Amino acid sequence: MKFFNLNQRRPLSKLLTAITAATAVTLAAGASTAIAKKFDGVTVNVMTFTGPQIAEPLQRHAPAFKELTGATINIITVPYSDLYSKLLTDFVTGTNSVDAAVFAPQWLVDYADPGYLEDLSSRVAKDTALDAQDISPFFRSFSTQYQGKTYLLTLDGDFHMIYYRTDVLKAAGLKPPKTWDEYLAVAKAVHGKDMNGDGKADYGSCISKKRNAQAYWSIMSIAGGYLQGQGTGQGAFFDTKDMKPLVNNDAFAAALTIYKDTGKYAPADEINLDVGDTRGLFTSGRCALTLDWGDIGTLAIDPASSKVVDKVGASMLPGSTKILDRATGKLETCTTKTCPYAVDGINRAPYAAFGGWSGGVNATADEQVKNAAYDYFSYVSQPAQSNADVTKGITGFNPYRLSQFNDMDKWLAAGMSKGAAQNYLGAIKDSLSSPNMLLDLRIPKNQNYQGVVLDTAIARFLAGEINVNQTMETIEEGWNELNEDLGVEDQLRLYKATLGQ
Amino acid sequence: MSVKPKSLWQKMWEPKDLQSMAPATKVLSYSILLFWTFIVLFPLYWLFVTSFKLPIQVSDGPYYIPFIDFEPSLHAWEYIFIDLGRDTLRPYMNSIIIASSSTVLAVFIGSMAAYALTRIEYKPKVGSIVGFIVILGLVVYLTVVVKMQWQLTLSIGFALFVSFVFAFSRYFKRSLGNNDILFWIISQRIMPPVVSVLPIYIMFQQLGLLDTHFALIVTYMAVNLPIAVWLMRDFFARIPVELEESAMLDGASRMRVFLTIYMPLAKPGLAATTMLILILSWNEYLLALFLSTADAQTMPLMVAAQNATRGPQWWYMSVLIVVMIVPVLIAAGFIGKMISKGQLSGAVKG
Amino acid sequence: MQTHKMNVKRKRSFGEMLDQASPKLLILPTVLIILFLAIYPLLLSAYLALSRFKLVRGGFELKFVGFRNFKKLLFGSQEYHFLGTVGEILLWEWLLIVIVIAALCRWMFRYLRSAKVTVVGTLGRSVTLVVFSALTVLAFAVLNGTGYPGSLMITLFYVFAGVSIQFVIALGLALLCAQNIRGKNFFRMVFFIPIMVTPVGIAYAFRMLMDMSQGPFSPLWTLFGLGEFSWAADASMARWVVLIGDSWQWIPFLFMVLFAAIESQSKDQVEAAQLDGAGAWRIFKDITFPAIAPVAATAVLIRLIEAFKIIDLPNILTNGGPGIATESMTLHSFIAWRTQDLGGSAAVGYSLLFIAVVVCVSFFNFIGQKTQPKGA
Repeated sequence: MKFFNLNQRRPLSKLLTAITAATAVTLAAGASTAIAKKFDGVTVNVMTFTGPQIAEPLQRHAPAFKELTGATINIITVPYSDLYSKLLTDFVTGTNSVDAAVFAPQWLVDYADPGYLEDLSSRVAKDTALDAQDISPFFRSFSTQYQGKTYLLTLDGDFHMIYYRTDVLKAAGLKPPKTWDEYLAVAKAVHGKDMNGDGKADYGSCISKKRNAQAYWSIMSIAGGYLQGQGTGQGAFFDTKDMKPLVNNDAFAAALTIYKDTGKYAPADEINLDVGDTRGLFTSGRCALTLDWGDIGTLAIDPASSKVVDKVGASMLPGSTKILDRATGKLETCTTKTCPYAVDGINRAPYAAFGGWSGGVNATADEQVKNAAYDYFSYVSQPAQSNADVTKGITGFNPYRLSQFNDMDKWLAAGMSKGAAQNYLGAIKDSLSSPNMLLDLRIPKNQNYQGVVLDTAIARFLAGEINVNQTMETIEEGWNELNEDLGVEDQLRLYKATLGQ
Repeated sequence: MSVKPKSLWQKMWEPKDLQSMAPATKVLSYSILLFWTFIVLFPLYWLFVTSFKLPIQVSDGPYYIPFIDFEPSLHAWEYIFIDLGRDTLRPYMNSIIIASSSTVLAVFIGSMAAYALTRIEYKPKVGSIVGFIVILGLVVYLTVVVKMQWQLTLSIGFALFVSFVFAFSRYFKRSLGNNDILFWIISQRIMPPVVSVLPIYIMFQQLGLLDTHFALIVTYMAVNLPIAVWLMRDFFARIPVELEESAMLDGASRMRVFLTIYMPLAKPGLAATTMLILILSWNEYLLALFLSTADAQTMPLMVAAQNATRGPQWWYMSVLIVVMIVPVLIAAGFIGKMISKGQLSGAVKG
Repeated sequence: MQTHKMNVKRKRSFGEMLDQASPKLLILPTVLIILFLAIYPLLLSAYLALSRFKLVRGGFELKFVGFRNFKKLLFGSQEYHFLGTVGEILLWEWLLIVIVIAALCRWMFRYLRSAKVTVVGTLGRSVTLVVFSALTVLAFAVLNGTGYPGSLMITLFYVFAGVSIQFVIALGLALLCAQNIRGKNFFRMVFFIPIMVTPVGIAYAFRMLMDMSQGPFSPLWTLFGLGEFSWAADASMARWVVLIGDSWQWIPFLFMVLFAAIESQSKDQVEAAQLDGAGAWRIFKDITFPAIAPVAATAVLIRLIEAFKIIDLPNILTNGGPGIATESMTLHSFIAWRTQDLGGSAAVGYSLLFIAVVVCVSFFNFIGQKTQPKGA
């Protein structure tokens, strides 16, 4: 049924594309005239956040899509920080001015559970042009699904990795860290050295620690390796037996301590840095290590923003040689039974923080609009479009398709050296293919669990208001309160559902 | 011998005459004023320079002076005005339309009320007010909780209120005064907008007016009315009552007195109030965020939106902040002229 | 002819009717607009504050939970967030508290013994007495270094410290500008500019300026050996930085109003006093200040109200951090609201409304009224 997997945006070939498409329509539909397109006169309002990262590729592909199908794609943008509530308000009040949206898959449950989003399962099943098998299994089967149904199409692959300065580590004779203890050791060893040649001392590690920003993801990236050893389905937020929060135990205490300790080798105001600030610091050559999403890979090769072109290495998140025993709350050394996926005795759990921007369709829209919206997301996600998009620094799209790792040419054309490209893609591939990838929290009100309870406690901990034990008690208490508010049984059922249990 | 330096010291602090300042006071005054000028202008200067910087020049900074310690680039200006083009101009025009219309309305309606509250005594009955609030609460309850049609509940509520007032108003003795009304008006500004934005959103959604200029104009007018009333009241109070009394004796109506005597005489106050309200509605963020989606989006949303997943885009943000000040500055200059003219004509008439 | 006359007569009577109704017509638009766009949201959000918002299949559900949201703020899991973490109160601090409360009680007692006692007046003063006493105790409990303030105390800090500092600076500048100096218009215009900048923009500008490693003053910090110091990691420094930004934005407003008031006072009295040899301070105290007091009171009241709603600066400068050290009540409410805790958000909003109304009413009745010239 899909007929527009041609990727030609040059004016001359537009005509050809149009003709091919039109012919395909005639052949497929049989009855309709040659000129009429599938979605003539259909307008789809797509909401996402302001800024080029997502809106730019969506806007760029719209004319070609209109050429192919006749559907007009209208991109509406609102500030990033308010996208969640803006969409929710639109759905809840039945305003429905938005036909489709590109948003964080973490919000999926809040939108899908009350039935605001269209179930796309059957469309995906029929869609051959999408090449769903090419999409990394994590995104295909965890990130876009809720209770076994597909509600989203992945447009972007997001998960945490660590980045390091290859030149700095080499000069110090150090290897990229594999555990968080090694991370601290590396940071300590290089802290205070001049890393960008301006004669000033630079920093060992820069990690976002600002409140109401990304701190609640950073902490889980550290804690993941200590908490989850049995694969994605085990989960790291709650015990799937009784919904007991996994935040008051030796594993979480270790993670909290490490998180705070990285601050010893960091800028003095790290507590007020968000990920935008740490990126600026890293790409201007002032940090040896950082924790971030895939964006740094493309930002670091952009001469307008980077002083570290070709000096950056990426690696899967470090892990731990010890794993939490959920029965006792103590840390035990990894065995083949407790950490089946450990390599060299180190258990690593790459954290799919945030989960990557994905497109969803409003269930109340007209059938034709829904079809057009789905087709558009599919079009943007198809390898022909997305494999080029993920190499561009201006888009916020990071790799999520297997074919994006195989084809090195686009990366070399974008300005990466072969070594750097291999290293960067290798780290992404390692993370994505890890069976122990850590899924972000996807239960209802996850914003409350993470963005409010966890984040506030972390912020107070980092500011020295409360100690490790108080922090863990506060989080546990807060999460239990939310569980009780929303019904422990319900939340447990949904939590297990997101993990595929 | 030792008298001389002391007298110099004294001289420094002694003014020559009553009109002028002593030399030392003068130096002190000017240095304070200049120091404050620096405090005021430096952040603006920094925004201005930042708008010409490349990302790397910001994160590797500080760089202070274009051409001397860094090579300025127009990339941010190009992005905002050429790449985004219409997406920048539309909110810009929206902001101008919304801010100016709501300001004019708020100032005019607010001035009427302010005049009335300075010169006429009101005695609203406590009973009627309590009755009104109870009935309105009932309407909200029926609409939100029982989920009745809002048109229906509103008309029932209105009917109930009217009959209530007619039936019982003569039994109410206790009444409030002008000061109570005034305080009631200003207290409407205390509520943080976060709390009132959802009900307002639902109201406009029911009326089908979301994402229109109208919704924003009406809302801004409403939230700024209290300030208009309060400020104008002070200015009206200074106008001598005798002027009004003589005009009334000549047979002028209240409306005419208000329009031909009070408004012109209060021009400086009018200008200051207009300026303040214009600024407040020009810069409002939260209500605009919810009441507009695409067509009616305003500039503050554009500024806030420059902080997305990649962190604040300082260069784009600086461009937007700088261009956002321009219309207000022009308006300020224009209104400032009106102030001096107003004083002149006021003097001629007075 | 006849008909024409009739028309004139009818028109006139209509005009007369209009004139008779004019007192009502003048104030009606304001009252109606405020009723619809302010009272209705107020009532609706009052209901929200007493309920729990939950998304359910097919829409949403508002469950009435009584005062649960408020209980959570005052005694429950959000107590640290709203009231703060209570520390130890030392003996001498208790003494200070007792002195403050005694002073409040004395003020109340004097009112009760005076001739003009009314039911409403007594009630209002009792509320003021109780609220201010409670706030005094809370202030000592969370601000003396052993505890941590919650959003309530932090907001009050912004309001009281901010408004007084801004008032003093604005008054000083206005008095200076009103002197016989050159470039009066230039200074007046320049000093007014900051308020024109959009608050979100101001917050971002200050985030750039206060950056200690890439900001314009970073060489200065290094020079003073502060390169490794961060205001953002220190609770009270962070609050002061927020306050600096807030002052930069709002001094112009107070300056503008006070300057206009000073300029419009009559010069005769001042000149007469000068001829009598009165000092600058006496002239200010006895002539200028009483003359501008009513306007100053209005300006301060408006400023008070806006100060209670401070959100952009803490939200953008520090996101409320370090810990919760810079989180104002509006930001507290906003964060709750953003994560669809609409009930909790409305509860914070209502608490803010209550405190702000008590403070503003007290100011209006016990300070504002005194500045009004007699008979006005």
